[in-house]
Amino acid sequence: MKLRSDDRHWGGIAKSFHWIVALAILGNGVFGLCMDLASNPMQKINWLALHKSIGLTVLALMLLRLAWRWPDGRPRELPAPRWQQWAARTTHALLYLLALAIPVSGWWFNTVTGKPLQFFKLFNLPGLGAKNDALRHFSHAVHEYLFWFLVLVLVGHVGAALKHHVFDGDNVLRRMLPFGKLRNDK
Amino acid sequence: MKKIHTLCAGLLLALALPGATLATDYTVQPASTLGFTGNFQGASFDGSFKQWHAAISYDPAQLAQSKFDVTVATASVAVNDKDQQGALPGKDFFDVEQYPSAHFVSTGFRNVGGKVVADGRLTLRGVTKPVSLAVDFKSQGKNATLDVDGSLKRLDFGVGGGDYADTSVIGADVKVHAHLVLLAK
Repeated sequence: MKLRSDDRHWGGIAKSFHWIVALAILGNGVFGLCMDLASNPMQKINWLALHKSIGLTVLALMLLRLAWRWPDGRPRELPAPRWQQWAARTTHALLYLLALAIPVSGWWFNTVTGKPLQFFKLFNLPGLGAKNDALRHFSHAVHEYLFWFLVLVLVGHVGAALKHHVFDGDNVLRRMLPFGKLRNDK
Repeated sequence: MKKIHTLCAGLLLALALPGATLATDYTVQPASTLGFTGNFQGASFDGSFKQWHAAISYDPAQLAQSKFDVTVATASVAVNDKDQQGALPGKDFFDVEQYPSAHFVSTGFRNVGGKVVADGRLTLRGVTKPVSLAVDFKSQGKNATLDVDGSLKRLDFGVGGGDYADTSVIGADVKVHAHLVLLAK
């Protein structure tokens, strides 16, 4: 597997970013929704700390991913009706935007509640402003609903990928699969 | 002969008197504060006690006669964070129902390189341990200020034990600082 993308394949680095971010953001989203299952306050503190650290990791990976995308380029788009190409581009743009906005909204939520922000017990990051109790519930709602919006967009993204793979039998999903082999007749 | 005896006794008494002079008693003025600085998830946070009483008897030249006696109402603890404010009075931290007050009493004062250190015993959450505090005293006439600083190991006193004992989340050391505005009685 080549590290760089070419005209037909996504490169190893682009694939790694895609799948690692996908696993981290979905896993961390589900984890975030489970916070109230903690059996005691200290466990919740530790769970939240882990959730925040994973979220910051997603944010850092997304910034690196965007920085890598320009020099790396991308495989050429496969032939499809205009509306499908437009839908795919919009979906991808939304996914990039949400993968950045969800961690940032969590950072903002953490800031207005006045909590420390520590990355895996290694170092602390500053707040994105001042503590503001009036924004506590609103910022939490933004953080959570952005995740539900991501889930909704993902239904389209995953549905489209499966549609291409199963019904069209083309390379749209294959070229992003970790060890996917392209079909040469497509 | 009797006169000489009386004279000698008088002289001895005069020599002994400065040593017997008491340190000045002070009343603590409302501008005084008693606070602490802890560490949570790598960030320091400040807290204070709103109700406490200190009996201060102090004279830098009469350290042997000086004394601090401080009683703190643990339920008056105040911090900025809502969750911490909820947790600190509880059983796992100060357990204010069981231990409504903390008490520090000095046992002696030392001069360490020109700085005064107050040694004493702190009783907190039912545990009594020796504690030493750095003393910075300034006086002008009847007015004085007294700044006291020390550091405690919270787990020595069982503050935040059990689930909260993890010092990688809640720091082991807690700094204590008091700023007293004093008026001589």
